Amino acid sequence: MEITVSQEQGRVPVTVFHVTGDLNTETYEQFQSQAQQAIQSGARYLLLDLSEVPYVSSYGVRAISQLFTWLRDSQSENDATVSKGVRDGTWKSSHLKLLKPNPRVLKVLTTSGVDMFLEIYDDLQKALAAF
Amino acid sequence: MPEPPRMEFSLSVSAEVANLAVIRRFVEEIATSLRADRKAIDDMLQAVEEATANIIFHGYHGQPGNIEIEMGQEQGALVVRLRDQALPFDPTRVPPPDLTSPLETRRFGGLGVHLIRQFTDQMTYRVMPEGGNELTLRKNAKWTSQEDK
Repeated sequence: MEITVSQEQGRVPVTVFHVTGDLNTETYEQFQSQAQQAIQSGARYLLLDLSEVPYVSSYGVRAISQLFTWLRDSQSENDATVSKGVRDGTWKSSHLKLLKPNPRVLKVLTTSGVDMFLEIYDDLQKALAAF
Repeated sequence: MPEPPRMEFSLSVSAEVANLAVIRRFVEEIATSLRADRKAIDDMLQAVEEATANIIFHGYHGQPGNIEIEMGQEQGALVVRLRDQALPFDPTRVPPPDLTSPLETRRFGGLGVHLIRQFTDQMTYRVMPEGGNELTLRKNAKWTSQEDK
């Protein structure tokens, strides 16, 4: 699994993680580590490009969830607001979004409930504009 | 529960993360040679990865141990049977995760089992007479014959 990073500009600067390879038990820690470095270096808006990710396991979901948590620490919403909004379908993260998962990966993400917290796009420009 | 018949293809590996790729390759190659359809193979690969990761991390807690895998075709289904010598644990009794709970506080322990349920048609468990766990995963599949192009 490899990650290349690019910076894009929408309404805000967006760090795009272009992930290549499986996001699974063997690779999730490396993924988390690189993401943590980017966040510690100042990244606040992160788009995960999953177009080159054939497979995500529950450990990959765990890693994506960890990113959500790290980025959310810099947000101001409280837990109650977020929980209610998630149940209502009115709240999604404004700091982390996902791009172009293949159908299998999308099934894993929706089965895991990740789509309840994170927006998923199939178009880069629309994803960038959504931040 | 009666002892299930041994299946044609088997593999035994030590329960290490490094062997997950070996297990995936085995499952893919055998399922392909049996001529199961691609979707069934991919779904079974997803389920087997989750099940074997659970054995490694939650069964053996990262300690040395073995995973035995048997595979075959039974009554139209692609079948994978996993055996380990870890402490008894019945994944069929794991409740589905609360997907509405905040991601940062959610317990992820049930997510792998949840994915196994979603990607297979049947998951059955038994404690083996000699001790240890046996988990059987079934995925209904379409099968091509050797005459099919």
